[in-house]
Amino acid sequence: MGIHKKKKGNVALFFVGTQEGIKSFGESIQTLVNTILLTIVYLGGVGTAWLMCKISGRTFFTGKPQQEAKTYWEPLDLKKKPIEEYRRQF
Amino acid sequence: MYILGISCYYHDASAALLKDGVVVAAAEEERFTRKKHDTSFPLNAITYCLKSQRITMGQVDAVGFYEKPFLKFERLLGQHVQMFPKSLKTFVSAMPSWIHEKLHIRKSIKKLGYEGEVYFIEHHLAHAAASFLVSPFKKAAILTADGVGEWSTTTWGIGNEKEIQLLGEIRFPHSLGLLYSTITAYLGFTVNNAEYKVMGLASYGDMDKKTNSYYEKLKQVVDIKEDGSYTLDLKYFKYHYADRMPSQAMEKLLDGPTRKKETEVAQRHKDIAAALQLILEEAMTAMLKDLSKKTHYQNVVLGGGVALNSVYNGKILRNTPFKRVWIHPNPSDGGSSIGVALYIYHTILGKKREKQHQLSHAYLGPAFSTEEIQQFLDARGIRYSKFKNQQELIASTAKMIFDNKVVGWFQGKMEWGPRALGSRSILANPCNPQAKELLNEKVKHREHFRPFAPVVCADDALKYFDCDKPLPEITDFMLMVYPIKKEWHKKIPSVTHVDGSGRLQTISRKQNHLYYEVIKAFGKLSKIPILINTSFNIRGEPIVCTPADAYTCMMGTGIDCLVMGNFLIKRSDNEQDQWNSEHDAKD
Repeated sequence: MGIHKKKKGNVALFFVGTQEGIKSFGESIQTLVNTILLTIVYLGGVGTAWLMCKISGRTFFTGKPQQEAKTYWEPLDLKKKPIEEYRRQF
Repeated sequence: MYILGISCYYHDASAALLKDGVVVAAAEEERFTRKKHDTSFPLNAITYCLKSQRITMGQVDAVGFYEKPFLKFERLLGQHVQMFPKSLKTFVSAMPSWIHEKLHIRKSIKKLGYEGEVYFIEHHLAHAAASFLVSPFKKAAILTADGVGEWSTTTWGIGNEKEIQLLGEIRFPHSLGLLYSTITAYLGFTVNNAEYKVMGLASYGDMDKKTNSYYEKLKQVVDIKEDGSYTLDLKYFKYHYADRMPSQAMEKLLDGPTRKKETEVAQRHKDIAAALQLILEEAMTAMLKDLSKKTHYQNVVLGGGVALNSVYNGKILRNTPFKRVWIHPNPSDGGSSIGVALYIYHTILGKKREKQHQLSHAYLGPAFSTEEIQQFLDARGIRYSKFKNQQELIASTAKMIFDNKVVGWFQGKMEWGPRALGSRSILANPCNPQAKELLNEKVKHREHFRPFAPVVCADDALKYFDCDKPLPEITDFMLMVYPIKKEWHKKIPSVTHVDGSGRLQTISRKQNHLYYEVIKAFGKLSKIPILINTSFNIRGEPIVCTPADAYTCMMGTGIDCLVMGNFLIKRSDNEQDQWNSEHDAKD
């Protein structure tokens, strides 16, 4: 009885192990595919946007202190808005 | 009317529930999942909030999210475009989570069975609302500062009754929070986690601007204008395109490479921490002085992670014209779930602010009944005894602490925010000179330089501490560091930091009767009614939430006994766990 139980345990263990192995293999494939696709998107999409920004002279932020500036505060007017504005994610 | 607030996907995911504008439940996800600063969707915290009021998602009237995900995503894309091609690695690692979950927050909420409206407000508005709308003030100036939200990293504005208006901002990548985090990383500690260690370390460094050479060096990194507004020189940073924060230029400027974890903390590191604290204080003071000039208000509220800098908080009223200050007990991202819920209730739906909406305590988490605790103890075969009544509980606990025992204290509702405030605390005798070393080494397994906080009854605070007068309400949340009066330094050595200060918590009988009485009873024995109060966890672990967490923590550490509800559990009476807490202690 004890031996039978042990055998059953080993079989179950084999299936659990196999299942985990397949899952981990799947995750590795997913990571690899994601990396390849995102690299293509980055080089194609982000790279193109970067080029257009370079040509048009657009920057998203500056990285140097401006000694002549009086303040670094930028004006903001965040106050109560119509309710539909809060339903938006942007 | 029930309103649920949610914050997640950056750090410290949390949920909070309002009932007719009153915060009735709030908790961080980490307490349930046991992953410190857990960022994931706060399913367990939401479940707790609903269960505490015996309601379902179908009965919730509105749900709010603490930021505008698409605006944040826009900032992220802007960063990658600007930093092309250096940002490839971070783009590839960050995008999957954005594509799979962060842009689908509405879907995640609907999956819970909720059919109503989901509202989104800006990140810094959520910080401002979290502090202002539960403050005792009808009108106040507002300053928020953290790492980054959508684009803003620092904002100023005004609060007037139920309206909040943010009028100025400093935008990413220029950020006081990220500057602090960068130096935290440089000093070998974990970002978004160990900034408070740098704050503690600063006291060991040279706090004199004239003699600390790193002060002048760090001034090259940040340019602060007269009004406190600032900008960073990005050549010293990498966080806007890489997964590490200080650049090689920063390492060169600070005379050496980034400190490796667990290596010796040299005097140089202490001086750098001190210089950083000096610069943060300089910028904050200038901003607050200017804010006072702009608004002419006497009250100020602070929000965002920078408001956890309790060393600076204790100096606000002395160094600026403001007369009163208020900070939410959980001012960083975790607390924003309360912020968005309050903003929906008061500002969007236009409900009036009343006195009952003020946050007078932080006991908003799960509690366990006597039956539940006893059931747990019996099921696990744990040896325990039961106190006859509250008087015996109070007297015995005070006596154990007086006898230099380390006591795990598990009572009532768990605290909201990063500080243990007398529900999930470890208590010890501050008069024992060995207590600090014992707690740091045997219990918490943390760095020797880290101080322990004193808890004192509000009516005794002015006798021992050089506090602002009147005592600000937020000392109840352990948000202010004050000098300990000189005559007490040697009498309470274990809570007196190297610079003679203490990050005190004050407590009133009304807030937490049992805790208050234990402190008073200890005072009768020792003649000093002050205790060491430190969070009930080991380094790197979230504060305990359930009886099982508390018992496991005690059995794996040097805590002598656990006072849990009406029960006393002694470590020596029970079999030692195999768990090696020292081995598991993380940053």
